[in-house]
Amino acid sequence: MIANSNLENILTSGRFAVTGELGPPKSGDPEVVRKKVRILKGHVDAVNITDCQTAIVRMSSLTAGLLALSEGVEPVMQMTCRDRNRIGIQAEILGASALGIKNLLCLTGDHQKFGNHPQARGVFDMDSIQLLSMMKGMRDDRKFQCGEEIKSHEPRLFLGCAANPFADPFEFRAVRLGKKVDAGANFVQTQIIYNVEKFKKFMEMVCDLGIHEKCYILAGVTPPKSLGMARYMKKFVPGLDVTDEVIQRLEDAADKKEEGINICVDIINQVKEIPGVAGVHIMAIEWEEAVPEIVSRAKLGPRPEPTGIEPVLMDRAAVETAVEKAKEAAERELQVQIDTAKKEADASRKLVLKEKERLSAEMEQIKKELEEAKRMASQKEAEVKKLASELQTAKSQPKEMVASQPAAQAAAIAAPAGAALTPREQAVLNSLHMGLDALKKALGLSDEQYEALRRFLEAEFMLFAGEEPQAVPAAPPSEPAPAPQPEPEPTVATREPVAEAPPPPPEPEAPAELAGLPPVPEGLTAEEWQRKWVIRLVARGNLQMLKGDFQGAIETFKQALAIEPDNEKAKRGLSQAESGKAPEMAMPEPEAAPVETPAAEEKIEVKPAEEEARPEPVVEEKAAPEPEVVKKKEPAAEVKSAPAPKAAPAAEGPEAFELPKETVPLIERAGSISEELYKEPASGRIYEVTIGEGEKAITVGGNDTLPFHLFEGDMPNPPKVAYEVLDSAPEEWPEPLAQYYSDCFEDPVKWAQKCVNEFGAESICVSLVSTDPNGMNRPSDEAAKIAQKVVEAVDVPIILWGCGNAEKDTETLREVTSLIGNKKVCLSPLTDANYRTLGATAMAFQLPVVAATPIDVNLAKQLNILLENLGLPLDHILMDPSIGAVGYGLEYTYSVMERITLAALTQQDEKLAVPFICNLGREVWKAKECRLPSDDILGDQERRGVMMEAITASSLLLAGGALMVMRHPKAVALTESLIKAMV
Amino acid sequence: MIIAERKSMNEILDMLDGVKKLLVLGCRGCVAVCSAGGDKEVEIMASAIRLGKKLAGEPIKIEATTYIRQCDPEYIEPLKKEGKKYDAVLSMACGVGVNFIADLCPGVKVLPGVNTTFYGANLSSGEWKEMCAGCGSCVLHLTGGLCPVARCAKRLSNGPCGGSQGGRCEIHPDTPCVWHFIHERLQEQGEADRLKEIMPIRDWSPAGDAGPRRRVREDLLP
Amino acid sequence: MARKKSKKRASAGIVGFCCNYTVSVEPEMLKERGLVPEDVAFKRLPCTGRLEVPAILDAFTEGAEAVFVAGCQIDECHNLSGSKRAAKRVQYARKILEELGLQPERLEMVFVPRGESEPIVEAARELKMRLSTMEGRS
Repeated sequence: MIANSNLENILTSGRFAVTGELGPPKSGDPEVVRKKVRILKGHVDAVNITDCQTAIVRMSSLTAGLLALSEGVEPVMQMTCRDRNRIGIQAEILGASALGIKNLLCLTGDHQKFGNHPQARGVFDMDSIQLLSMMKGMRDDRKFQCGEEIKSHEPRLFLGCAANPFADPFEFRAVRLGKKVDAGANFVQTQIIYNVEKFKKFMEMVCDLGIHEKCYILAGVTPPKSLGMARYMKKFVPGLDVTDEVIQRLEDAADKKEEGINICVDIINQVKEIPGVAGVHIMAIEWEEAVPEIVSRAKLGPRPEPTGIEPVLMDRAAVETAVEKAKEAAERELQVQIDTAKKEADASRKLVLKEKERLSAEMEQIKKELEEAKRMASQKEAEVKKLASELQTAKSQPKEMVASQPAAQAAAIAAPAGAALTPREQAVLNSLHMGLDALKKALGLSDEQYEALRRFLEAEFMLFAGEEPQAVPAAPPSEPAPAPQPEPEPTVATREPVAEAPPPPPEPEAPAELAGLPPVPEGLTAEEWQRKWVIRLVARGNLQMLKGDFQGAIETFKQALAIEPDNEKAKRGLSQAESGKAPEMAMPEPEAAPVETPAAEEKIEVKPAEEEARPEPVVEEKAAPEPEVVKKKEPAAEVKSAPAPKAAPAAEGPEAFELPKETVPLIERAGSISEELYKEPASGRIYEVTIGEGEKAITVGGNDTLPFHLFEGDMPNPPKVAYEVLDSAPEEWPEPLAQYYSDCFEDPVKWAQKCVNEFGAESICVSLVSTDPNGMNRPSDEAAKIAQKVVEAVDVPIILWGCGNAEKDTETLREVTSLIGNKKVCLSPLTDANYRTLGATAMAFQLPVVAATPIDVNLAKQLNILLENLGLPLDHILMDPSIGAVGYGLEYTYSVMERITLAALTQQDEKLAVPFICNLGREVWKAKECRLPSDDILGDQERRGVMMEAITASSLLLAGGALMVMRHPKAVALTESLIKAMV
Repeated sequence: MIIAERKSMNEILDMLDGVKKLLVLGCRGCVAVCSAGGDKEVEIMASAIRLGKKLAGEPIKIEATTYIRQCDPEYIEPLKKEGKKYDAVLSMACGVGVNFIADLCPGVKVLPGVNTTFYGANLSSGEWKEMCAGCGSCVLHLTGGLCPVARCAKRLSNGPCGGSQGGRCEIHPDTPCVWHFIHERLQEQGEADRLKEIMPIRDWSPAGDAGPRRRVREDLLP
Repeated sequence: MARKKSKKRASAGIVGFCCNYTVSVEPEMLKERGLVPEDVAFKRLPCTGRLEVPAILDAFTEGAEAVFVAGCQIDECHNLSGSKRAAKRVQYARKILEELGLQPERLEMVFVPRGESEPIVEAARELKMRLSTMEGRS
């Protein structure tokens, strides 16, 4: 016995239990609770008192439970983890235990969001399973949660838990119930069942895990009070499965309430048959009147007289009733005691009288004998006298000696009459004593009583008055019956005044009831009852084993086997019990149930967002900002001092800028920070693309790190700059730019040579702008010839850049390639409109190409794939992502380039791992800012343009640009010095 | 990172009652990344206050700047002097920044411009979600990397409660049931048995229930 | 930058931020032809995607009673997503206006097919109408 509660007694005795539910009021009115309890009384074995269900403030479960107790109905207190931490919970439990609470349902509790105080802070110091462990620890190990010992009066509670067979994931539900039972649950109350089929499946899983043998499972049922309520539960109560059939039945019914009760009774009748179900929990909150009806229709009533109910606290009326009751009981008992005493006294009086009669008869006899002796003595005297006279007469005769003899004889005879008793008298007294001894034994007299009696009789005997002996006093104070005890004070503290009276309920071990199969209850076939009974026996046996009562367990299992000799579980249990081993607690694998795997789309939703590796702003070192500032400032300072724009003659070449190189490697600056923390080496590598041939060929790409992240990777080929040469005189170049080239505007060959010879160009990009059908529309063959001349005139690598009209570019570029033969120029731009034809040309001559796409990662990738499918290897492709100048969409370009670079380097997106070419000069120099003349606000025009171009270039370099097509020699010089400083 | 959210303008204007000269101070740390208190948001806040004050007919002079961080003393240093030039400093940093300024800059009246909400991740542009509760004793190795402390409404330790339905939490249909997905994840990884073990009651003292937390690394101390 | 410019044009009743690509007609011409009310001040932007929330708020601070933003049709934006961004920022600015006690109806986003001016005229008139039915400034 764990707590000796009525519920426990009912369940352990194998009877089908019925519990009810009671929601305390949202007020301090005890009458509300009492009224509900009175409705339920006699129809349920215990009643659950909810602990602020749905997080709505109500009278506490403990206090309402005590009210129920005072009405003679056993409460199941509920405790949630929502409102109290471990200190509060344990304190409350000690109090509950002190006041006679014996059942506790441990719950996590409804979330406060659903209640009338949604802004409350939920405590959730622990969950229901941990609460069960804590309670079990307090009860069985006598320890508080912290481990401290509970020195006395540990709370002995029959522990319960809830289970929801209808929540998800379904296959985990039985496992979770198993955890609760392992944690300490003795009984289980399930969520409201409407879907009996699903519940059956759940119970099968529960039985497979053997959980039903370690606890008692009460199936939760609720009569739907109305169609609206059923619909509400179906729609809005999570984890409640109201079937369409139930809705339909209510819809069809004329009397909804009546049908609600019918539905509930039907469900009870169905769940009763499910193996492992030990009772029902009827939840008819705010419809308590339905419970008696349901219990009676389900043939579950009347309930056995409750046991173990010990109210400790009561209200005044109840106290008075109890006092009255206790008084009556005490008086009744007193009367019984008095009656017994009287009877015993009567009996002993009779006995004494009988003995007296016997004694007086005997004394009579003795008297007679004495008379006789006297008579004989006087006769002897006479004889003596006669003898004396004879002696006198014989005095004269010498017969004196003879005469003295009879005298001595006479003296001897006479003596006893005065002092001593005769041997006969002695014998009489002895027998009297013996009689008294027997009397003493029979009546259990005390020594004093005995002595008194003895003296009395002896005295009587001695007095020998011959009168009738006096009557024995009616009830001597020393009567054997115990004196009536002082009336027991009927105090509140009187324990179990009534409970003692009825015979104790049959214990589970009581063999009398277990000997065979109890009578078959109504509604069950003999066979079903037998099966059910065996299941209960097995469960009981297991429980006994768990408690360590192996002998009892063996008995129980044997009984089970007697009824059903083939029951495997009983056999197993028997062998375990005989070997003295508790059943294994480990649960078997749950079936890998394919049921209800959540839809794929739901899966996606919770996967942590890991797609984008975002740059971590947090790793920024404190030391970093300083050197950076210095770096940025210097080129600006140089610009200020170096070019004197007005004085700069066309012929003057760009100054070589020298930027200070970072001399302290990052590893030193990082100090104690471990390299792993800031290094994020890439997993990919950009393809190397070579333009041109021979000594002057340039190679770009090949890096396996983000631009200039030399501390974590390699950048074998520093970015390069190509000078842009137009194949016809530009019309709109602003003066600060035009001045450098105006002498060769009309001759692209001379222009290209100037770039190479004077400015040190490492490569040239020939823009075939003249071919634009919307502009000059120079025929392709003419343009091709000009291009051919340029190609042949300089020895640096050449990029041929078409006008952007797909058809015209195809025509022109094919023409050029046919003219220049094997010279390795780079063809551009290839777009989705002309990649096939130009791609084929490039393949034929093994030329690198530029794949141009409008600012889009996917389009860029697609074009690369198309080109590769065509047969052009990726190491022959440069990407033009579409360039925006600073202030004119640079951020879009930057972002796209950055994403492509990251994809190529960190996500092994090989199709994107080709270097960028950035044709930025043309974008920069058409900007308004480069055209406005010098003024006080905007400053010097040339410096402005140079800075625009250089800043655009430097940004693109940081985004991953590998080849820059630029115009202004000073901007190129700035860019190159930046590259030099950084690699 | 730490996620924050702009306070409503009514609240801001209420706290700026009587302030004639204001510094709106952004932070380039977490709040910049989560678009609550970086340069852009500082601009918006300054403009909004200007408009609000104008509507109320109260003159105000507002300056705006953004520090690299407000949770390191060296970055806050200039504010010790600068801050005194203003009636108030509206910090757009998380609560850490506001506290730190209050601690380090006596004589500067610092006000919070954002509500610091949680530790989260950026789901997509403009959407952040709580992923960590900073409870101080991580159990993610037991739960498939998904946190039941931060992501379960009841902070359960032992599996989904009865309110888990179809992978959703009962408190809101948009909220996933993290235990559902822990179960799923562990099943995928062949570790579903792990959920059969009872996770013991937690020690909440590292979660801050034992008082303000502090971390020291001896080897780094000056 | 937008803010500095708008300071010069204070006191306008309605301010319209217009995308450069969308509004091919000089908006001033609309005014000259009497198609839009006199107190509408136009501000051209290279792209409405460049329009930040502070510029909108500042327009109000500087005296505008209402503001509209005219961008490309949402799927025809010259800069792909410029007007989409603008629409979102307008939404955010409306939220702030509401928090400040200004009716959000004072701020409107209009999408204009390239080369048309009709929606702009309509927006300007509509806002004018709204203003006349509103009580006070808050």
